[in-house]
Amino acid sequence: MTLSNEQLNILMKIVEGTTADSIDCDGCFGRIAEFAELELAHKTIPEAMDKVRNHLQNCPCCQDELNSLLDALASKQEPPA
Amino acid sequence: MDTTERDWVTELTSDDHDVRQGAIGDLRTFLVRGLRSAFLKKGVDEAFCEDIAQDATIRVLDQIDKFEGRSKLTTWAMTIAVRLAVNEFRRKRFQDVSLEGLSGEDTLRIDISSGHESPDANIMRTTILETLKSLIEDLSDKQRIATQALLEGMPVDVIAEKTGSNRNAVYKLVHDARKALKKGFDQAGYDWQDIHTAVGTGQ
Repeated sequence: MTLSNEQLNILMKIVEGTTADSIDCDGCFGRIAEFAELELAHKTIPEAMDKVRNHLQNCPCCQDELNSLLDALASKQEPPA
Repeated sequence: MDTTERDWVTELTSDDHDVRQGAIGDLRTFLVRGLRSAFLKKGVDEAFCEDIAQDATIRVLDQIDKFEGRSKLTTWAMTIAVRLAVNEFRRKRFQDVSLEGLSGEDTLRIDISSGHESPDANIMRTTILETLKSLIEDLSDKQRIATQALLEGMPVDVIAEKTGSNRNAVYKLVHDARKALKKGFDQAGYDWQDIHTAVGTGQ
């Protein structure tokens, strides 16, 4: 199967953007709730969360899940008091 | 734990039936609202959100002893609901897509044909694509298949399901392939801007 120009473009971009990643998808999932709360509060992401940020940069699937989570949490809804 | 928040853990595990059921109902409603906000625009229906919220609520109750209080319980519960929703959404989207057409030797092939007006640019493009081709040949069959599937738009969890693997393993497979390709280009001494210019990528 020959890569299309678009696929070649994507491949070169993700290869260039690849960095060391010390956690896997499960590791990311375990911290993603905290990460999302910080993002929604526009707070600085602490260094302790660098592993999560790094994984998100490398993993489009986890990034996609974070985007959906932020959408779900930012729907102007308050948890029932 | 965020003390300004309702004491969900106590209520969700209460011996008082009414308190527990009230909390369960409120949590489920909260999850449905969030799922609607995130997924209706992706083409799912109300029933999808209701079903996922129900499954997520059950899972939250099953796993509540694992909640460490590093976020609000409602945020933690929503991460569970969103992951269930994303997994189901992807599974349905790719249910008819097969990996059987992909074989290790026949994937990630590069078309090294000239495409630039100047001879110098053509030489550079050919050289870089030959390097990429060589680096790809050094990948394992599994790495090539997983990377090709990813480039076809298939998420890692779907690739894992179709190959009888798991998400973490497929992610590592692809990540290792990416690292190998990047290392190969770096060792060959290429500048990434030159690569993108020559290959016509990165726009």
